[in-house]
Amino acid sequence: MNTAFLLSAALLGLAIPASADEFTFDASEFEKKPFEFSGYLEQKEEGLKLRSSSPAYSLAYPGRSSQNHLLRSTTTLEMAGKLNLDPVVVDVRAQAFHADDQLVSNSDRGTVMEGGVRWSAGPGLTVDVGKRVQRWGKGYAWSPVGFIERPKDASDPQSSREGFVMASAEWTKSLAGPVSAVGLGGFVVPTDGSRLNQDFGAERDLNPAARLYLLAWDTDIDFLWRGKGARPESFGIDFSRNVTSALEVHGEWARFRDASRNTVSAKGVTQQTEFDATSWLVGLRYLTQSEVTWIVEYYRNGLGYDAGELDDYYTFLDTALADGAASMLEEKARRVAQSGYGRPNSGQDYLYAKASVSEPFGWVYGAASLTAMTNLKDRSWQLTPEVSYTGFNNVEIRARAFFQHGASHTEFGEKTASRRVEVYARFFF
Amino acid sequence: MKTNKLLAFAALCFPLVAAAVDGVDLLKKVDRNLEPESYESYRKLINIEPDGAKKEFVIYSVKKGKDQVATLFLSPTSDKGRTTLRQGDNMWLYIPSVGKPMRITSLQSVTGGVFNNADIMRLDYAVEYDVKAVEETGDTYQLDLKAKTGEVAYDRLKMTVDKKLVLPTQIEAYASSGMLMKTLYFKDIKDFGGGIKRPATVETDSPLYKGYKSVMLYSGLKKKDFPDEVFTQGFMARMEELRK
Repeated sequence: MNTAFLLSAALLGLAIPASADEFTFDASEFEKKPFEFSGYLEQKEEGLKLRSSSPAYSLAYPGRSSQNHLLRSTTTLEMAGKLNLDPVVVDVRAQAFHADDQLVSNSDRGTVMEGGVRWSAGPGLTVDVGKRVQRWGKGYAWSPVGFIERPKDASDPQSSREGFVMASAEWTKSLAGPVSAVGLGGFVVPTDGSRLNQDFGAERDLNPAARLYLLAWDTDIDFLWRGKGARPESFGIDFSRNVTSALEVHGEWARFRDASRNTVSAKGVTQQTEFDATSWLVGLRYLTQSEVTWIVEYYRNGLGYDAGELDDYYTFLDTALADGAASMLEEKARRVAQSGYGRPNSGQDYLYAKASVSEPFGWVYGAASLTAMTNLKDRSWQLTPEVSYTGFNNVEIRARAFFQHGASHTEFGEKTASRRVEVYARFFF
Repeated sequence: MKTNKLLAFAALCFPLVAAAVDGVDLLKKVDRNLEPESYESYRKLINIEPDGAKKEFVIYSVKKGKDQVATLFLSPTSDKGRTTLRQGDNMWLYIPSVGKPMRITSLQSVTGGVFNNADIMRLDYAVEYDVKAVEETGDTYQLDLKAKTGEVAYDRLKMTVDKKLVLPTQIEAYASSGMLMKTLYFKDIKDFGGGIKRPATVETDSPLYKGYKSVMLYSGLKKKDFPDEVFTQGFMARMEELRK
């Protein structure tokens, strides 16, 4: 009887969930500290299948012998510090890296990505001075309304970006009624024609900008403006809304006044034109019943090049970078590439689709995705499968491959590498 | 004979007594006994895998009124600084490295594991659910709750409430298909001070995550009021300012 009872009790004990007594938690362990330090160390290994006869290869590796495969190793260290002097916060985030492959080796001993002083005058008012990354817009892969920031990399939209030195004041107010929040921000991004915000513009100017935010009828809406200065005057609007709990729609529209664009003919004649350009984007994010998240975006780049213009550019590069071509032509090819054609996604029409699933097949902390991006004008495309795992404490592991395909003289058909595989581990501290 | 009549009368009266329990009032009492309407709290979320491996998250949460919730991740280091915001059915996630709020949905999980975003940024039950039935069984009430809209994470809840404490001991959450999505177990009644006495531990398991378990531990729960501006997207990057 006793044995049966003990056996039953033991079996019941197995079935009962582990006691909560085994867990302890005391919030005092997580008191706010006056100084915080954090960062990560990342080790990335890449394998590339190169298009060694392409003009892009000659531009990327000038004077180097043809090589079809390349292994690259990159170490990145990012460190951040924050000093909490309520109501003032002083912070800095800096990054350094070293990359090595058989063709080139380069290092950056340290770049301040962001840093500055923020004064919170109240819950709804902040004043900030420093190097900051503004992330305007609702687009996932692109943000045509990102007027005062470096452009996103559509192949890795969430990657860390460097900011611009700026001063800003932002005010937010909650309201009752259908417009439940309103925010207003004013910004200046000064350029001195020399080193200050050199990448923003070469002219001496204050470069003012403003943003009006509304949460109205459950829709996020921004009105955005950048004054004429080192860059042309621009204004735009964006929105984002959850149509259902599983479906979000978003869009952006931007108008650039007197924007300049450089073109080159197949024979190498360059031309600069100024015109009013419009860029826009529409997209959605949809969570299916099977918990697959779809992100689909169409992007119209009003400052981009059509298939014919890209064909002319690549025809010129073929001539300028051919064996025995004059060094002056090679130099011109390099200048033309930097004047607009060499930018990521320099075409006019793009479609982006990403299907991602968290914890596929019960793989907790795992994620998998497949991303396709196509230049609709020249029908070239890029396909990116990816897996990541965050199950180890403070470690993120990610692996992905890039397949870039297209006919000759198309955007993805002319990239330096036709295939690339990368694996990285990021250790947070 | 008289005894039989009395028993029959008592049996007839029992449903009337049960019906006399105001389900909505009871649910509102459960809500207030669990948390003040506006509060701050610290929570540790522990995801336990079948092999016993654990992953822990520590979050600081604030809530105001019926439908405004915000959370800040304090640990692990890889997630530190992430914030989430809920305004009714609208939810956003802010990741410092991404730098702008992204809309998220209630059924996704910012932590992975059994707890989803709706569990982590929970509103009062009475805000999201109608009481369809109340049943008295011994020391407990059994509440049958139906979601007020299709936007709510779980279509139906079966809540077991301790009669004496007016606190839940167990909640079963069902999808609109009738499938059991998860069961929440409320344990370890603790006095948090300020008149707040509630379970300090919420455990959950799910047939969708066989062998996995998630635990939520509460600490530092106290009544506190916040300006409305705290629950706006502009404040998401500044939530650390609320902690003293």
